[in-house]
Amino acid sequence: MKKSTTNVAFYTPYVMWLALFVIAPMVLIVYQSFFDISGHFTLANYQTYFQSGTYIMMTINSVWYAFLITFATLLISYPTAYLLHYAKHKQLWLLLIILPTWINLLLKAYAFIGIFSQDGGVNSFLGMFGIAPQQFLFTDFSFIFVAAYIEIPFMILPIFNAIEELPENLVNASQDLGAKGWQTFTKVVWPLTISGVKSGVQAVFIPSLSLFMLTRLIGGNRVITLGTAIEEHFLTTMNWGMGSTIGVVLIVAMFIIMFLTGERKKKGVRRHEA
Amino acid sequence: MSNIIVELKHVGKRYGDTQVLKDINIEIEQGKFYTLLGPSGSGKTTILRAIAGFLDVSEGEVLFDGKKINDVPANQRKVNTVFQDYALFPHLNVFDNVAFGLRLHRMSKETIQTKVTDALKMVRLQGYADREISELSGGQQQRVAIARAIVLEPQVLLLDEPLSALDAKLRKDMQYELRELQERLGITFLFVTHDQEEALALSDEIFVMNDGQVQQSGTPVDIYDEPVNHFVADFIGESNIIPGHMIKDFLVEFNGKQFECADAGMRPNEPVEVVLRPEDLDITAADAGKVNVEVDTQLFRGDYYEIVAYDQLQNEWLIHSTNPAKDGETVGLTFDPEDIHVMRLNESEEEFDARLETYEGD
Amino acid sequence: MKRKFKWSYLYLIFVFICLYVPIFYLVIYSFSTGDRMSNFSGFTWKHYAELFADTRMIQIVLDTLLVALLSSLIATIIGALGALAIDRTSRPVMKNTILSLNNILMVSPDVIIGASFLIFYTALKVPLGFWSVLMSHIAFSIPIVVLMILPRLQEMSHSLLDAARDLGASNYQVLTRVIVPYITPGIFSGFFMAFTYSLDDFAVTFFVTGNGFETLAVEIYARARQGISLEINALSGVMFVFALLLVVGYYFLQRAGQSRRAKHKRESEALINETTH
Repeated sequence: MKKSTTNVAFYTPYVMWLALFVIAPMVLIVYQSFFDISGHFTLANYQTYFQSGTYIMMTINSVWYAFLITFATLLISYPTAYLLHYAKHKQLWLLLIILPTWINLLLKAYAFIGIFSQDGGVNSFLGMFGIAPQQFLFTDFSFIFVAAYIEIPFMILPIFNAIEELPENLVNASQDLGAKGWQTFTKVVWPLTISGVKSGVQAVFIPSLSLFMLTRLIGGNRVITLGTAIEEHFLTTMNWGMGSTIGVVLIVAMFIIMFLTGERKKKGVRRHEA
Repeated sequence: MSNIIVELKHVGKRYGDTQVLKDINIEIEQGKFYTLLGPSGSGKTTILRAIAGFLDVSEGEVLFDGKKINDVPANQRKVNTVFQDYALFPHLNVFDNVAFGLRLHRMSKETIQTKVTDALKMVRLQGYADREISELSGGQQQRVAIARAIVLEPQVLLLDEPLSALDAKLRKDMQYELRELQERLGITFLFVTHDQEEALALSDEIFVMNDGQVQQSGTPVDIYDEPVNHFVADFIGESNIIPGHMIKDFLVEFNGKQFECADAGMRPNEPVEVVLRPEDLDITAADAGKVNVEVDTQLFRGDYYEIVAYDQLQNEWLIHSTNPAKDGETVGLTFDPEDIHVMRLNESEEEFDARLETYEGD
Repeated sequence: MKRKFKWSYLYLIFVFICLYVPIFYLVIYSFSTGDRMSNFSGFTWKHYAELFADTRMIQIVLDTLLVALLSSLIATIIGALGALAIDRTSRPVMKNTILSLNNILMVSPDVIIGASFLIFYTALKVPLGFWSVLMSHIAFSIPIVVLMILPRLQEMSHSLLDAARDLGASNYQVLTRVIVPYITPGIFSGFFMAFTYSLDDFAVTFFVTGNGFETLAVEIYARARQGISLEINALSGVMFVFALLLVVGYYFLQRAGQSRRAKHKRESEALINETTH
């Protein structure tokens, strides 16, 4: 009834935030993408992006790596979430899943520098079987492995929530109607938990496109993702125009992913490091 | 005249194109138990909300104690509400819920303590003051909601389907308690329900609502015995409604036969509807009664048998009988002239009352 | 049945070992006398001593905590007001637009947020340092606060507000005595999430911090690029214990609350049975 005065007080700070920190930066990054390194208006950045094969290859590469990371994460996370649902003390287990996300990501990446090094944990373990030390650090494998390791909790949580929301009686009904374990899974459980999988994929795929510190610390600059390229252009070569152009590509990619994975569920999804 | 506390004059409410209340005229006196009875969507809760101040009426006047209160906000009206979902504040315990209104009125600590304790005693929840709302059963939450509303000593208590969430047994107990509470407090209760049994059992006066209009108002007995129209007859209690013709005063024809009745004041040969309550029908041997019917099915209801039977014209008859009948058997039905109630088609409550006076007049 | 369960636990335990091995690996080597993360050669506290003597590192930890605390506090206030505003918006088109805008920062990769904020600050000539980092952390924490509070607001029954008004509360009293206490759990979890976001953030800070100001994540990145220093291991040891205490405390608090409530409920049910029969 009495709307005007109180609502203005509620809206003002929040709308200011929307305008200044959501809309303005997005507009600015698009605007910036039309300027070259010396500040002249140009379409050259987009020309470069589409004409030089390197940028296109890098994009395809980045998407491919993000796909591999997401797939590996899903493969491990779904069974984990599923088994977790039937485990005793599942709240405790769940907390144990969340706990590693509270350890700063940089520290976890740093741990792998030790684990994967020439005389690190993995190689000493292999050494016990008489296998000569292998080069793990700075390989594609280590990049995907560490990225998947970091993303796993963010995939498990939405899937776990979706499974928890699935009424137990639907599983019982399916069995009652004669479905075998596997049939129950493919015909009932999977279709009804796909929303959790979608949120998980969204929460993992988009950040995987832009992981730049991992490519530096673990990938040893062998892997270049969209994120690495943006960081390079903004903070090293200072070519903000080109960096913004790649940023726009990344934003477009983000919208495509969001469109493909549909309405996202808000629970259990956390935005995190690049 | 002077003890009218709430009055609605030509009140209407529109949401866009939908008219949810049409020309409502209601007078509510002090100290009585009133019920707004009707199916869902009939507008009964809307009336309650208009009196409480949760919505603005589109037209007409809402009067409290003779003064127009259309523009008085809900927090300044001297009525309190018991909500259907109880609306207890989950972050406060029982004591603080009941004390909520008192604290807003800046009463002293001691006064609050006494009043809350009294209110909790009134609803038989002494000793529950420190409980959390989530620790209470539905019936207990119900009592807290009542205590919270009556602690402010309103002149009118509005109850919005307060018993609908309780199970049958508890509901019956609460009906007795509510009636007793109303008599003890001596204030006006305006009770909303869709349960006609509840309305008949509790009320001094009932407003039967349908389609945003008051169909009939009166004492439970009046409404039960003399429904003004098809809707009221059908909604209140069980009934057999049979089309017929009024031959002349005190003589009605239906099922191809003429019957003596207690109604008058209609045009000769006017088409009418005849109401016969199932419990007024008595079973006798075939051809010994006024109508012959063939028993189709019956259900045992505990204190009576509910029998469905058909006459030769395939009209359905509902009979309540203490004795069972045999399926497929043909039996006779008897009833007295007073058991027949004749309704004119499309007669309003005012017209009905006026006609009644022409031939009943004490 | 039993056989199946054993296998499933084996898998779960395997996943958990994988999740925790790197963390324990870090912590274990924080006690190693060596200076690399290999060949554990003997127990020592010396890296912890180094850590606590490293005033630069302690300053960075304090700065990081300050930014986290301030940013989550301010983000919680703005986010709570925003949630109230969104809840009051009645036109669905408007509401959905605001919600979509709200979620942009939730799904945007950090690199984009960092880069676009950098352009923004440069355009406005905001100097890079403590203030730019603080503003950025506030900015990216607001949407999660909104998302934590909004569901509480939406699940709040409208009759609660009617009841408060019916009992004599003014609009302001309805807000302070009913709405705010009701959404308090949401406000707390929003604050908590904002706090962890801020502590966790690396990429955004990396973009918008100048030379003079550093957070923990940026510092670890800089040191990790130079190679291994067991002082960082000691730091992770401290952080892990801190996180563990929080989790365990939270878990037992929750359990205690649940069982107490269940017990009371049983008691009162028994009581009502007695009184009604």
